[in-house]
Amino acid sequence: MDLFHDNPLLAGVRQMLGSFALRSMRPIAARHDREESMPWALMKEASPFLSQTAALDGRKKLTGLEDDPDPKKPRTAARIAVVGSEELGYGCAGIALALAGSGLAASPVARMGTDEQRAEFKKLMSGLDDQGRVKVAAMALSEPATGSDISGLKTIAIPDGDHYVIRGSKQWITNGLSAAVYVVWAQADPAAGRAGVRGFIVARGTPGLVPGRKETKLGIRASETAQVHFEDCRVHKDMMLGQATSAEGAATGLSDTKKMLDSTRPAVGSQAVGIARAAYEFLLDRVRGGSLHGTPMASHQHIMFELAEMQMEITASRMLAHRAAWLADHHQDNVAEASMAKAHGARTAQLVTTRAMVLLGEEALEPDHPVEKWYRDAKIYDIFEGTGQIQRRILARLLTGQNPT
Amino acid sequence: MDFTLDAEQDLIVQTVRKFADRDLRSWTADADRAGTPPERLIATATDLGFFDEVSRDDPASYAHLTRALRGFELGRGCAGLAALLETNVEPALAVATWGQAAAKDALFTSLSTGGLAAFAHDSRGLLTVVPAAGDLHVSGKLGPVPALAIARHVLVAAGGVLMLVPTSKLTLTPITPSGWRAACWATAQLDGVVVPADHVVSSDPAAIATLLAWARVSLAARAAGVATAAMEYAQAYAAERVQFGQPIGTFESLIRLHDDAVTGAIAARLCALHAAWALDARRAEALDLASRARVLAGDVVARATIDAVQIYGGYGFVNDYPVEKLMRDARAFEALHGDERLGRVLTERRLQEAV
Ligand SMILES: Cc1cc2nc3c(=O)[nH]c(=O)nc-3n(C[C@H](O)[C@H](O)[C@H](O)COP(=O)(O)OP(=O)(O)OC[C@H]3O[C@@H](n4cnc5c(N)ncnc54)[C@H](O)[C@@H]3O)c2cc1C
Repeated sequence: MDLFHDNPLLAGVRQMLGSFALRSMRPIAARHDREESMPWALMKEASPFLSQTAALDGRKKLTGLEDDPDPKKPRTAARIAVVGSEELGYGCAGIALALAGSGLAASPVARMGTDEQRAEFKKLMSGLDDQGRVKVAAMALSEPATGSDISGLKTIAIPDGDHYVIRGSKQWITNGLSAAVYVVWAQADPAAGRAGVRGFIVARGTPGLVPGRKETKLGIRASETAQVHFEDCRVHKDMMLGQATSAEGAATGLSDTKKMLDSTRPAVGSQAVGIARAAYEFLLDRVRGGSLHGTPMASHQHIMFELAEMQMEITASRMLAHRAAWLADHHQDNVAEASMAKAHGARTAQLVTTRAMVLLGEEALEPDHPVEKWYRDAKIYDIFEGTGQIQRRILARLLTGQNPT
Repeated sequence: MDFTLDAEQDLIVQTVRKFADRDLRSWTADADRAGTPPERLIATATDLGFFDEVSRDDPASYAHLTRALRGFELGRGCAGLAALLETNVEPALAVATWGQAAAKDALFTSLSTGGLAAFAHDSRGLLTVVPAAGDLHVSGKLGPVPALAIARHVLVAAGGVLMLVPTSKLTLTPITPSGWRAACWATAQLDGVVVPADHVVSSDPAAIATLLAWARVSLAARAAGVATAAMEYAQAYAAERVQFGQPIGTFESLIRLHDDAVTGAIAARLCALHAAWALDARRAEALDLASRARVLAGDVVARATIDAVQIYGGYGFVNDYPVEKLMRDARAFEALHGDERLGRVLTERRLQEAV
């Protein structure tokens, strides 16, 4: 199941992004973590190959290859995403999110949008913003009172002639402060319940769209997270997603939103694998030349069995992500595998970084220590894009058809 | 066998708990953000008798059990500030127990005028200690050490020697690590710092082992306090936060996370108290119990703080809520003095190889 066995395309993606991670991400990671700043310069430098609208561009930009136009043929998008995400997570998870977080907004537009909406989204994302920075997008689903249970959305979209008036607040939105374009989810038809939820493309500067306060966070601090308020924000009805039949079939409100989350989970799990691998390799490097009271570190089971354990977990997590992606690329259902990949990757990242900290002892107390940063970064993978509990709830429901509480 | 506190212990626990709940918990977030303790901390703690409790003339009467009871409460309040409040104990006890008159004079004169002292254990072996003309010359890197940035003295355990060094002899670099940010950490680069013979506190391995046991028990008790605080916050939050139409505290998986962490915190506290009791009773197994208490408390505080963030969900990851700080704070309990398990394994291996 290892994606690299006979696939030069994926091996190429890995090699290219892996060297980008070491050369371009690592040297600036500590600074952006400390300063809680987005790596705008790197984002611009990387934009020729790491597009903020990759979900809409197909694979050409990164790999130079056109997508196969035959929709029945296996795709490579999901596999490219997991292989690339591991490398970017290996570089720096916060920077990875700054480089690729717009994909969360681009992917529902790609899946559910009309041609006009896709074109509009790409237009809004083209060029530089008024501060000369590459443009980023935000996907605004979560709300102060609604994270795991997205059926409880309070943000509403009230029809008003050719427009919808959006009212509500969004919480923890990646790129929420700086985005050039927002994809916001709101209840457009309360009578329809869960089927009434729709996404809307809203351009920055639209009256009533008010970016809120930026959060100070435990980890992934190079990625911006902020509240976003919609204060009677008028959006043309043409900008509502899921009004037309999309490539995936008719859009069906919340369930389509959930599908969108399923599709990004393997890559999110992979990013976590990248963090784990970073910490593991850091230790391995230390062990190779190191000694402990005069004996080689490599001769100590106390240390080496921990590394063996880490290697096992990392490999297992990676395989799960690869399998979930392979299924998606082969047009097969992967809901369970995607949840496993995400939850397992998150667990591995936390386990490996925590153990690595212990083994490093006082060294890990030094400010700007990379392993300490990875420890803080790892935690988010068990929270966003469906918490660890929510992934297990999905798996449990698939087992018996029932939601355990 | 009786777990009841005596009247004095009870009074101390009640007083410190009140101080932790009222003062430390209200200072902790700002102190963490600013990377410095509140100005009132030292004055308030001095009033409470935190800094001059070790008797120069009768160190043997010092009660580690009382200290562990207190440390647990302080940990519940704020790990970083607790480290400052506990900082004088190891230097004062060690110097009073083993030190020569010159070192005692220097340290206790300073302490009596509000000076603080730090304790640094060179667990990474970064210092070299070379005898020269009766003195010791010390070179290399010291730290990171909590309280070192504001301490007048530092008790250094390195190269099999325990020595008292005035911080005026060192070039300190104040640092703010990710955890215990208000604890006034520093590192120092030593370039042949001369420690006169009368400031060498001990070169007896048993003395150093005992000193480390004091520190381990104190760390373990505070770690149990942090774990307990994490779960107090998590339980209160879980009772309020509603998802899927019910408080998240009613979901069995979260009940279990909370329950296991509380079990761990209770066990960690008891192990620390037991080790402290053994130290006070001069029991042979005290040093081993102290080390075991720290192993357990390190595991427990790591797990509990990570799970508290989990229970808070997205709010757990942001600085407006108290638990992400606890996850950062948890690390120092395991990091200071190095990997406790590794030390145990190496010691046991040497013993077995000698058999
Ligand atoms: C850094 C960051 C970036 C983010 N980026 C975005 C973004 O770009 N766009 C966006 O829309 N959102 C974003 N989010 C929000 C994120 O998706 C939510 O935080 C996440 O879904 C969890 O929701 P919550 O925080 O409301 O936690 P809650 O849902 O309140 O969960 C709290 C706890 O309860 C548990 N729980 C909830 N339900 C159950 C159940 N049924 N059974 C057992 N346990 C349960 C959870 O697992 C968790 O442990 C981001 C969050 C963070 C922290």
